[in-house]
Order: sequence, then C-alpha cells, then structure tokens
Amino acid sequence: MAPKKKEEPKPVAAPKPPEPEPPKEPEFNPAEVKIEFTAEQIEDFKDAFQLFDRTPTNEMKITYAQCGDLIRALGQNPTNAEVMYVLGKPKAEEMQVKMLDFEQFLPLHQHICKAKDRGTFEDFVEGLRVFDKEGNGTVMGAELRHVLATLGEKMKEDEVEQLMAGQEDANGCINYEAFVKHIMAG
Amino acid sequence: MGCGATKTSKFNRRFDKDGHAIPAAITIKAAVLIQRWYRQYAARMEMRRRYTWNIFQSMEYADLQDQIKLYNFLGYLMDNFTRSSSERKLISHIFRENEVCRDAEWERYFSFTNIDVPDIYAGPRLTFPLDMDQVADLVEAFKNKQQLHSRYVLQLLLETWRLLRVLPNINRVSTCHSKEITICGDLHGQLEDLLLIFYKNGMPSLEKPYVFNGDFVDRGKDSMEILLILFAFLLVYPGDVYLNRGNHEDHIINLRYGFTKEVLSKYKLHGRRILKLLQKIFSWLPLVTVIDQRVLIVHGGVSDTTDLALIARVDRHRYVSSLRPPKKKTPSRINVYANSERLPETVLCKNTMGSLTFPKPFGARDSFQRRSLQDFSSTMARTLEGEFEVRRRQAEFSLSSFSKSHSILSTALSPDSEPDSSQLTDNSNDEWKQILDLLWSDPMSQDGCIPNEVRGGGCYWGPDVTEDFLNRHNLQLIIRSHECKQDGYEFCHNRKVLTIFSASNYYEAGSNRGAFVRLGPDLVPYFVQYQVTHMTRGLSFPQSVKRTEHTAFKALRELLFVHKSDLLSAFQEIDKENTGLICLNDWASAIERVLHLDLPWQVLHPQLLSSTKEGKLDYQGWFRDLALKKPRSQHIEQTMLETLYRHRSTLETIFRIVDTDNSGLITFEDFRQTLKLLSAYLKMEISDEVINGLVISTDTNNDGSIDIDEFMEAFRLVDKSRLERGQSLLKLKQDTDKCLTSQTVDNPASQTEDLL
Repeated sequence: MAPKKKEEPKPVAAPKPPEPEPPKEPEFNPAEVKIEFTAEQIEDFKDAFQLFDRTPTNEMKITYAQCGDLIRALGQNPTNAEVMYVLGKPKAEEMQVKMLDFEQFLPLHQHICKAKDRGTFEDFVEGLRVFDKEGNGTVMGAELRHVLATLGEKMKEDEVEQLMAGQEDANGCINYEAFVKHIMAG
Repeated sequence: MGCGATKTSKFNRRFDKDGHAIPAAITIKAAVLIQRWYRQYAARMEMRRRYTWNIFQSMEYADLQDQIKLYNFLGYLMDNFTRSSSERKLISHIFRENEVCRDAEWERYFSFTNIDVPDIYAGPRLTFPLDMDQVADLVEAFKNKQQLHSRYVLQLLLETWRLLRVLPNINRVSTCHSKEITICGDLHGQLEDLLLIFYKNGMPSLEKPYVFNGDFVDRGKDSMEILLILFAFLLVYPGDVYLNRGNHEDHIINLRYGFTKEVLSKYKLHGRRILKLLQKIFSWLPLVTVIDQRVLIVHGGVSDTTDLALIARVDRHRYVSSLRPPKKKTPSRINVYANSERLPETVLCKNTMGSLTFPKPFGARDSFQRRSLQDFSSTMARTLEGEFEVRRRQAEFSLSSFSKSHSILSTALSPDSEPDSSQLTDNSNDEWKQILDLLWSDPMSQDGCIPNEVRGGGCYWGPDVTEDFLNRHNLQLIIRSHECKQDGYEFCHNRKVLTIFSASNYYEAGSNRGAFVRLGPDLVPYFVQYQVTHMTRGLSFPQSVKRTEHTAFKALRELLFVHKSDLLSAFQEIDKENTGLICLNDWASAIERVLHLDLPWQVLHPQLLSSTKEGKLDYQGWFRDLALKKPRSQHIEQTMLETLYRHRSTLETIFRIVDTDNSGLITFEDFRQTLKLLSAYLKMEISDEVINGLVISTDTNNDGSIDIDEFMEAFRLVDKSRLERGQSLLKLKQDTDKCLTSQTVDNPASQTEDLL
C-alpha cells in the first residue's frame, strides 16, 4: 500500500468574509426632503392631484397605487422600484388601501424630481438600439414585446399592446427613432 | 459565470449585429428604460382622459344651466306679457295647446287609415298584431338605415298608447323561472348602442326580459327608431318588456334637445301628429319598476318624501311635462265629460273663465292666487295677507327655482280657482313633486336631501335617505340612470344605489363606455360594458384620446371666447397697472371666478395658451388667438354676440316653437319680437338697428323670412388653430403639387392625424 500521501491539509476555506452587504439603502424619510418647487408649480401639482382624487367626498387624497401614476403624469419617469422606495416599501395589499394627502405627496415627488439619470431621448434610443440586430434603425416588434413582458419591470400584455399599437410596419418591424418620438410626444 | 446559468438568462441572451453576445445587464437596463417611459406615457394619457372627462361634465353642467334659463324665460313671458297685439300673437304661438279635444276628434286626428303607402316604399310594412318576425325585420331595416313609413308609425304608436293606458304606474317583475332580467339605462337616440346590446345579450323575448330605464330620446340622431323598436317589443312581449319614463320623455324637453327636430325632419308631412301622439304616450309611460319586491328601478332617483304607495295611486298621465304642472280638476267640471282620462285636456279647452293661451290680465285678484311666494317681481306688488297665507302653504311644495317658474306657468294656465279647490291644488303639487323627484334626482355623497339646483328639478339625495327609503319599502337596491358614467356604471351609497348608463361615447367618440346589468333570482348584478367603436375604428387608444380631447378643448375655447367681456374685466381688475400681462395663477383664478366650472385650469393651460412671456400672459393677444367670428357675424358687437351665443339654445327653442308649419323659416316680425322679449328679460338693450343688422346678415333670400338654421349657424365660432392648420396644409399640398418630380412628404400619416 502506497503510503498515504500526506494530503496537504486542504486549505480550509477561510470563513468567507460576509459578503459585503449592499450599502443599506437608508429608508426614505420625507421629512428630510427640502421642497424646492415654486408656488406656481405647486398649484399645478394640486390641480393634477385633484384629478386623481377618487374619494367620494373629494378629500384630496389618493391611494398609494396612484402615487406612481401621478408622479409620471407630472412629467417624471421613475421606475417602479423608485416609487416603492419613496412610499416606504409598502406591502402589495396596502397599495390600494393606504392613502396620502397632498402634503405627504409633495416630498415624494420632490425626491423623484431631484433624482439623476432621468434618461434622455438619446438614452432611450440607445436602449432600443440594443435590439437592433441588423443595425438598420429597426427592431423586431415581436422581440420587443417579448423583452418588455419578461425582463426588467415586466409589463402586462395589454400594456405592451397599447404601447406597440400601430407602430409595426408590414414586416413587423419598428423604426425606433420614430417610436421614441411617438412615446415622448405622448 | 458558472454553469449555473439559468435557462432564462440563456434564453434571453441577445446578440448584436456582429454576433457578439450582449451582456444581460445591458438588455435589462434597456428594458427598464423603455418600461419607465411607457409608464410615464400611460400615466399622462390617463390624466388627459380624466381632465377631458371633467371638461365634458362641466360643459354639461353649464348646459343644464342653459335649460334653466329657458324655463325662466318662459316663466318671464307669462309674467310679463302685455296686451299689445303683436306680442300676444307671439306668446300665443308659444303656449298654444292643440285645439282638438274630444274623443272622436282625437281618433280622427291620429287616424292613419287614409295615409297611403306608395309602391316604391321599400321599408317594412307592418300588420297588426305584431309578431316577433316583424320586429326582427324592423330592427334589420333600421340597421340598414331605412325609415318606417308614417302610416305604420302612427299605427304602431296608437297600439302602444292603447297598451300603456292599461299598465300600472309601477311595473312589477319577478325573476321566477330562473329568468335573468336585463336592465338598460339611457340610450339617448344612439341606435348603435341598442343594436350592440342586442348583439351581445340577445333581443327581448319570453326567456329574456328587459327593463329600459328611460331617456330613450334626445341628443342622438335615431331617437325615433329606438322608440319604435322598444314599443314594438313591448307590443309583442308585454309581459317581458318594461319601460320606465325618463325626464327626456317630455315634449317640452324634446324641443330643446333635438327629438322634436328629428321627428319633424324625418316626417315632414305627419311629424306634428306623431309628436302629439308621442306626447300622450310619454305621459302614459310607467314611472318605476320593481323586481321581486326587492329592487327598485327608476330613471332619476328618490327623495326623502318618495312614497311608492302614493306613486301607485297617481294619475300619471296628467303629468304631461315637467314644465307644465297638471291642470287642476275643478269639481264642477268633473261630470261633464264621460271619458275621464281625457278630462284634463277637455277642461283645458272648455275653460271659459280664463283662456289658457292668455293668462288673465293683471289686476284681477284671482290670477295672483296661485303664484309662487318667492316671486317678488314688481308686477306682483299687490298681495293681500290672505293670499300670502295660501301661497305660503303652496310654496312649501315648490322648493326649487325650477318649480318656481313652473308654478308661475301653472297659475297662468289653470282655470280660475274655486273656494274648495285649494285642496286639490295641494295634492296635485304633492304628486307632481313626487314624480319630479323620481325622474330628475341625483345621488350625492353627503347625508340629507336638498333641491337639485343644477337640473332645476328633483333633488340631491344622500346615503341616509337611501337607507331610510329602502327600509321603509323593504327593498335592497336602487337601480337608476340619468347620469353619464365613464365606465357605463357606478355604485354609490355603500353599493345600495347603482347608476347604469347605456349610451357609450356620449360626449364624444371615446369619452365613455356604456353598460347594461343582468339580475338573476339571487339579485346579484352582473355587468356587461361596451363601446361603439366605428367612430374610433382605426384609431389607436392614444389617437382616440387625442380626438376626444380636441373636441373638449374646442368647446372650452368657445366658452371662454363668449365670456370675453366678463373675463376681460376680471383680468383688468387684477392688472391694475394696465400692463396687458397677467400671471398664470391669476389667470386661472380669474377664469374660475367667471365660469364656475371647477376645472383644473393649471393642468389645462398648455392646451389653452400658446405661450407665456416670462410666466406672464398677454391676455388681449390670447383672446385674439382663441377663436374667430364667422365673417357673417363680424359686424355684430362683441357683447351682443356673447349674449346671443349664450342664449342660443333658448332662442333656437323659441324659434322652433314659433315655426308652426315646420318650414324652418320664421317671419321677420316673430324674430324681432323674440329678440325684443329676450332683451327685456335680460335687461339689456337690443335696439331695432341691431336687430335689423342681425336680420339682414341672415335673410339671404330677402323675402322677410329668416332661416333658423342659417341664423344659428352664424353663431358658431371658427376654430382658429384648426383653420390655420388647414390653410397651411392646403398650401403645402399646393406647393407639392406644383413640383413635377414626386417628393415624399415627411410622415403624411402624422399630419392627417392632426386633423382628426
């Protein structure tokens, strides 16, 4: 019997240093947000807020679920994750039930407005160019649909349909610069 | 990465044009970016849809105020007409009742037997009694845009009238035999919606009972066809089709909202007769329907005094129009005529003590007897204490300004009082209020019950009134219509009140869906929503939102333009230094002060203002950009134009009443008198010169008669922005045509989109 090779002590895997924790995102604190809007802007937001108010007695309150829509209607385009963050990461069942009034809404909106990386026309086109296989300025409609419904902050089928309605040409291709202009012109 | 790559990531691996794999992270980032933008786009679209809806609702509110103006004007006429012969003639036009009164004469009047149907008539030829096949043919014919010949119309209507007269005020329906009952709301002359309902739900039959909850006519263009279809089904399935009266089943309302015009233009020869018969039919329509003694279906709603037992007892046909409270039954006349149901009309005609067309001249004590207490007009100064008392009691029954003008009319129209007849008056008024409440009321979110000042009739009732009403009558649900809802239906009052509205695209193509509801024995509502799409076919959702929005803003700009004088004073009040500029906030609040529409002006301003200089608006320039007057009305002075424009529907209604031979023309003299009366009512000067000027611009045949449509046309404002776009497009086309070589116009699709 061959002498057992003295096995090198397997280097005991050093206790893995705890994975560097992702920098703990501080919870959003509305009180810390400084409102920098002008009086006119605030009037504007109030009007829009009222439009979204569906309470039977016009209490000037909207649900958490509507908050993202309102911020977007006012011209910002946060991700869903960003919206959930400013809302304090509520649970799914709270979204339709919990309400906020205008004063509570303002700091959330302000925070989103201040955020960098808004995404310009060029960014948007670049994003779409990723899917331009032939480098000819078009993307396949079917592919885009698939991506939007399965990746990132997935969209529902009818949302995708609404977005793409009338955009594809006879070959199912979309000229994405025109597409972007269409979206941004709204 | 290890071999732990998930199937998903492999599946989603993308490759660029050189075949290199794109890192998943970039793909995801791209996806998220697009999704963010999409969500913003959708939210903006939703907001536009919402404020467009608000605009339409506000315009409807403003329009209802218009209606009240008409009633007030008519009331004013009765109050203040004098004995001068020219005005008397005009007013007698307006209030003339049909002369024919007796039984035999009615039969002769409505007789259809001498109406010949020419051989070339290709529409349905009905034989009575009707059967299902004929009704199906009728529906098919209307689908193909055919028109039923007036002979058959009259015949069908006569049969309907005979049937309705034996129906009770309260339809009682049961869901036994596991039948599901379908309930439809307002249709407003929109035939496509009715056809769509039949397509989705099947036509009425023994197995498929239907309740139609009023407002079949007005506004839409096929009111007649809808009525004919509904009545035909009623005749074939009297036990399975139920019709409730709505506030638009009323001949005076029809004058204002288009049904009268529709009938007269479709049936030039026999239109008036048809209308008269319809007047009777409307008054004989049942008032409410009750299902399984648990669910009440009524067009408007209820009030805190609504009492179904009382409703069951009234003579509903005496309430011909909301604008005309019933004539009193005076005891001495009751036995004179055998046919009691004809009584009101006969009393009307045979009344010798005070002609109905001419109220008693002022000065006679009796004529003041039943005037409303609230009317303190100077002509009524001489009231005695006793009369005060009588009137105060009566005033308790008339709560709103609507009924104020109505009681004025009723006193003018009713025969002289007899000492013991004040009792009957009280009862009549009470019943009348009950019916008004049923047909006109709207729910509100606060508790209580207050008069409905917006509509001028009925009330606003709160959740507590619902609760109380349901308990008192042992019911569990009220289904009503009367208000347009964006999704076709809406619950309120803790789901105890359901509004169902069946006219889709009511304000404009794409504005709202219609809906109907089915109730089975479990009385759990099942909804079906729909929207007629041919108007928006080929348009994507955003395109149809844009189009609806366009219509709303056009109407809004017109409204702003015709309030120019008031707005200008409001702006100038703020702009004390006369700089001609005003900031946005002030602009918004000034507009709200003048118009009272409760619209989000800040949100709307980009659509209404083209530009601001450093946040300030040049308001004079803004007015110029808003709209243009038509060339024909250029010479009409601004405030005059605004006034006439604001009262145009009142004017048009009066003109149509006056145009007794339905020629579309009225005499210069009648025109002049109407304007003079209107100006006196509005307490503003319209000199003869101005009137002459108005006439000359519209009397194009120079024969002393005015074409009503042409005159009204002069008041439509031209949409300046559209005009300019149209002109530039025309120029572009002309330039393009000039070039001999073909050029591709950049994105023609989007240009035509703009014009939509």
